[in-house]
Amino acid sequence: MLGLLETGSGFWSAIIWVLLVLVIGSMVIYIRNKGEDSYKKNTEQDKPFISGNPEENKESSHLSANHIYWGFTEALKGYYNPLIKIHTGNINDYSGWIIVITVIILIMVGVSG
Amino acid sequence: MKLNKYFERSLWVFHLNTGSCNGCDIEIVAGLTPRYDLERFGIKLVGSPKHADVLLVTGPVTSKMLDRVKRVYEQTPDPKAVIVVGACGTSGGVFYNSYNISGSVDKVIPVDVYVPGCPPRPEAIINGVLQAWIKLENLRESMKTAQAK
Repeated sequence: MLGLLETGSGFWSAIIWVLLVLVIGSMVIYIRNKGEDSYKKNTEQDKPFISGNPEENKESSHLSANHIYWGFTEALKGYYNPLIKIHTGNINDYSGWIIVITVIILIMVGVSG
Repeated sequence: MKLNKYFERSLWVFHLNTGSCNGCDIEIVAGLTPRYDLERFGIKLVGSPKHADVLLVTGPVTSKMLDRVKRVYEQTPDPKAVIVVGACGTSGGVFYNSYNISGSVDKVIPVDVYVPGCPPRPEAIINGVLQAWIKLENLRESMKTAQAK
């Protein structure tokens, strides 16, 4: 399992990979510890810079799916608006659609058969 | 030994426009063009006050920018220096006592260096950065002395 995997384009060894992670990780931690540590905790200095604007709480900064797809739905609103109107939330309407479409399909099958 | 020690003389500057007409901003950018080339000294503009040694502020402080200026100042790590570039930031300039102005920059945050002019020439701005550099050197020395005690 820990052997050398040789391929046409080189080799891969789990032991070398783990050693490299340890060596590079230690170097990163060493350099990071040499960095700036004089910032004041629990002040604006440890908050993110958002062009000077205050940081909003997580709930109000949540980006919902309809925000992400705004341009998409705006471009295809001729298609979406009738669909949204059809989705009334009333189970009787949905059952009605199933019955109507089933009838149409049965007629088509009956005519073609 | 801290890595920061080797970067102390390369001032990183965060430029904050608090309502400037862009005249001073253009002169700041002129200081970075090949004619003056401030970057050869390691002095450069950065995109976040959290990376900066110096705040370079242009324009009078408009009411909308008031709390943002304070927040950006607080987010800049210590030791820091504030340079105000232009007549508007220094005194309000032509916008003095205007209905939507909170005042000059020193009414909102402590200012270390003033560079007057409308707009000041790049040489004057470079001289202002030099003054801020001297001020920061003194601040760092006093911080080191305080730590040694």
